[in-house]
Amino acid sequence: MKRFIYSIIIVLIANLSLLAQVDRTKAPKAGPAPEIKIGKFNSFTLPNGLKVFVVENHRLPMVTYSITLVNTPVLEKENAGYSQIAGEMLGTGTKKRTKDQINEEIDFIGGSFQASASNVYASSLKKHTAKLLDLVSDIVINPVFKQEELEKIKTQTLSSIAANKNDPEAIASDVIGVLNFGIDHPYGEIPTEASVKKISLEKCNEYYQTFFRPNVAYMSIVGDITLAEAKPLIEKYFGKWERKTVPALSYEKPTAPVSRKVAIVNRDESVQSVINIGYAVDVTLSNPDYIKTRVANTILGGGTYRLFDNLREKHGYTYGAYSSIRSMPLVGSFTASTNVRNEVTDSSIYEILSEMDRMRNELVPDDELMRVKNYMTGNFALSLENPQTIASFAINTERYKLSKDFYKNYLKNLSLVSSADVQAVSKKYILPQNCNILVVGKADEVAKKLARFSPDIKYYTEEGVVYDPSAKGKPVPEGITVKIVLDNYIKAIGGTEKIAQIKDMKQKGSLSVQGMNIAVEMTQKFPDKALTVIQMGTNHINKSVFNSNKATSSGMQGSRDVSGIEFDMLKLLALIFPENKLEQYGFKATLSGIEQVDGKDAYSVVVSTPSNGTYTDYFDVASGLKIKTIALLESPAGKVKQETIYIEYFEKDGIKYPNKIKQITGPQSFDITIDSIEVNTNPLDELFKL
Amino acid sequence: MQNLRLILFMVVCFIFINATPQGGKINFTEFKLENGLHVILHQDNSTPIVSINVMYHVGSKNEQPDRTGFAHFFEHLMFEGSANIKRGEFDKYTQNAGGNNNAFTSFDKTSYFEQLPSNQLELGLWLESERMLHLRIDSLGVETQRKVVKEERKQSYENQPYGSINQELFSNSYSVHPYRWVPIGESQYIDQATLSEFMEFHSQFYVPNNAVLVIAGDIQPNQTKLLVEKYFANIPKGKNEIYRPKVVEPKQTIEKRKKVYDNIQLPAVIFSYHMPAQGTADYYGLSLLQSLLSSGKSSRFYKALVDQQQIAMQTGVFPVALEDPGLFVAYAFANLGKNAEELEIAMNDEIEKVKTGEISDMEFQKLQNQFEAEFYTKNATMEGIALSLADYHTFFGNAGVINSEIEKYMAVKKTDLTRVANLYLVPENRLVLYYLPKNLQTLGGN
Repeated sequence: MKRFIYSIIIVLIANLSLLAQVDRTKAPKAGPAPEIKIGKFNSFTLPNGLKVFVVENHRLPMVTYSITLVNTPVLEKENAGYSQIAGEMLGTGTKKRTKDQINEEIDFIGGSFQASASNVYASSLKKHTAKLLDLVSDIVINPVFKQEELEKIKTQTLSSIAANKNDPEAIASDVIGVLNFGIDHPYGEIPTEASVKKISLEKCNEYYQTFFRPNVAYMSIVGDITLAEAKPLIEKYFGKWERKTVPALSYEKPTAPVSRKVAIVNRDESVQSVINIGYAVDVTLSNPDYIKTRVANTILGGGTYRLFDNLREKHGYTYGAYSSIRSMPLVGSFTASTNVRNEVTDSSIYEILSEMDRMRNELVPDDELMRVKNYMTGNFALSLENPQTIASFAINTERYKLSKDFYKNYLKNLSLVSSADVQAVSKKYILPQNCNILVVGKADEVAKKLARFSPDIKYYTEEGVVYDPSAKGKPVPEGITVKIVLDNYIKAIGGTEKIAQIKDMKQKGSLSVQGMNIAVEMTQKFPDKALTVIQMGTNHINKSVFNSNKATSSGMQGSRDVSGIEFDMLKLLALIFPENKLEQYGFKATLSGIEQVDGKDAYSVVVSTPSNGTYTDYFDVASGLKIKTIALLESPAGKVKQETIYIEYFEKDGIKYPNKIKQITGPQSFDITIDSIEVNTNPLDELFKL
Repeated sequence: MQNLRLILFMVVCFIFINATPQGGKINFTEFKLENGLHVILHQDNSTPIVSINVMYHVGSKNEQPDRTGFAHFFEHLMFEGSANIKRGEFDKYTQNAGGNNNAFTSFDKTSYFEQLPSNQLELGLWLESERMLHLRIDSLGVETQRKVVKEERKQSYENQPYGSINQELFSNSYSVHPYRWVPIGESQYIDQATLSEFMEFHSQFYVPNNAVLVIAGDIQPNQTKLLVEKYFANIPKGKNEIYRPKVVEPKQTIEKRKKVYDNIQLPAVIFSYHMPAQGTADYYGLSLLQSLLSSGKSSRFYKALVDQQQIAMQTGVFPVALEDPGLFVAYAFANLGKNAEELEIAMNDEIEKVKTGEISDMEFQKLQNQFEAEFYTKNATMEGIALSLADYHTFFGNAGVINSEIEKYMAVKKTDLTRVANLYLVPENRLVLYYLPKNLQTLGGN
């Protein structure tokens, strides 16, 4: 009852206060600042060197375990990607458990588990915590890596790599790493199809055996658990983890480029340019400028600040524009990034560079500085809601040898940062003249206008390899293999099933040479018979016959046995649509690149024949169809290049056949038109008599 | 390798599985102002922060077909200013106070939220009340946001592989219901909308009687109530009737199929089945079925498609829980060299196994354990709790569901899983969407 009266009073007061005028014209003042307390942690070290940090937080009945390895990352070179894959192998089997057992046991307790090259993370409800530790310690200490599981992870990784090739932001993130750090630094390596395929079980085992050691590991335990509960559990489950000296690796520290560079990754389908402006910068947590650089970056673009206001709110170029200074263990990086419509690509870069300049050339106004410091102070406080923050503070302090009071004094030091400090660190770390400007977008529409930023403009593939766009060949996109190109061709002309039904074929066509009409007739019978007859009126100009393992050619100069590449070409004719059975008949196809054929991008497939000749087929990237074949033929005068261009296809009964063909042999050029095609007429074998 | 990421199309799907098994109860108080504004307070003084959430019961389904994307566009305009807040200042106030703000628009709702140090609560209430009372937008703001929203559309959808999945799913699954367009809408309507339409939209939907205000964190409820009244009590109640479409999507009777050619290399297959609205009994059955199929590495889809057959790089199932009947979506992205047909066969097989096969007690127990653990992780932050309370009030008419919903999940029986699978996961109730690489387009035809 008392409670009831109380609430009535509240309502009365509320009504009274409404009578008083609410001054809406001014923002309300803040109440007294709450005390910002950084939660406590406990720590202990096992005899094997594992350093453990415990942060108690009893709001939820959950406990999270996280292991971080602080070894220096490996330069993986031709095996790029193997550290990560070795990490992912954890959880695929142990000396005691199969993979299925591990997965079932984790899921059964509603837990979660993830592992990567240098992290292991697991969490569950408190009541399952012993079970979870039993599992995680088994996974980490007693793993058994199997080839079968490696192959699965490699397949997944290759698929991810292929998928990322279509994601402009993923491409930008890979390539800016190459530009900022170089390929001789672990931060600049990109796993590729080729490098992932090379990764062996030995490599994974070697990584695990070398680096997964307690003496380079930090473990954080966060949640509904006390030090007294945690310590015996960790001793029990992780005490057996064997220490071993981990090799010290070191790399030359990457630096910002001496002059500005422009890099373009062309992506024809792009409707926006992904812009990344970046460089390597030496800001680690232990750098005395660290807090000042965070203030400078926040003003520039570490939230909805100058870059956002300029590019989005003032110009409407983008949905967002931001910058960051990342402090990583070996070296840091600066990045400014945005996604903008194609036509404002150069204007956007100009605005970003101008804002970077402004940071260096002008003092930040006091009110703007105050707002940013307020924001950072508030966000520091907000971050403390998550108990993981306290664990990461503890680990950072230890790992980077920070002063014990680094985080305790963080807000005080933040409040001391002046406009002059911001300008000084901007001059030192914000480098609009020494940056890489990366644009992932439609080069046709954006590239020309980028020359104003640097004379040094280079084109890169998605894998961060420089190429010359005016050169003949272009690298093949990741994931496209010769098999895919050939299979696509077969699909393009009608599909395997339809083609398999064709047992024989008779084509009649014509060409005209200097006003004379010449008839061409080709008869093909799968798998080993072919006949071509070229005649003018009733005169045979040439007749070539292929039958089983022999071929002859007869013309006005008499008859001869056919051998070498000419023989191989006749054999292909007998195979009718040979492209999906080349291997089977002793031909070997390789995909050599993408070339322009009559203005179209085409895959060039080089085929070496059983008699060691070669010819090249060109398949249109867009349609999949074969558009050209180039073969080097033997002639009495030496090698002669023969080009066959398939100008037009027509469709009959669901199969596409070339019906307009241009053939250029040495100085001669013929236009051939196919007038009729008959299939499965079962021509008599006698027809192919040699 | 840092970027093994794939666009996942869960952006529009806000799934809340907030529930309390034992203990961990979320306490709250609630009251209604005379103008109809519903207010919910959750006190937790462990960290000196406060989360404010204002949820308006309006989303893309309240739009007209010739103004799709309007609700989301309007969300952008809500940051333009008010009678007392100049253009561009809204964010500055929150930042200056050391906080963050943001908003999102979905099919059924538009949600605005601030996260602030707790001594800045009053500022947050002032900001939210200002734009509810007298939003001010000018043509400069509108023109700028037209461009921004179009860039958002490009960045999040057009320039992304598989970026059109949502649009394809909804436009092909629904024939008459306004879920047939997605919240981002079509660009041309962004250009056509006029200033007077915006003001009309505000006076119809952005009214206290169409909103819920939730405050969670380091507060004193009595004091907070006074502050709420100070800033919100004199906001007039809406005069217009609020448009709520009463469209009922007719039952689908024949399987729909579509192929989409995109700038991708890996084919993807997506099934979307019509399912009942959130909060219905079968919705809970389908939620457990989702877990059975795709939660964790021991789940049916993962085990079959990713691990054993190795035909999928990624696979998943999620129910899109909506106010009106939504969609139960299952998807798989192919591994390199695998095709859509193989994926479809394997997905069908797994669904068939649920319909006709056995679920062991152990496997069923696992699902319940997973839901129990999920409950706690979902209630880990003040921001999450505020959003959940707003959601339960708006769509269940009862914020208390935050604590009782777990019982609905736990009430699902093993036989329910088989039953709902047989009832809903049937071909005539679904759309089968193939995403195929563009370079196959000229080959296969449509």
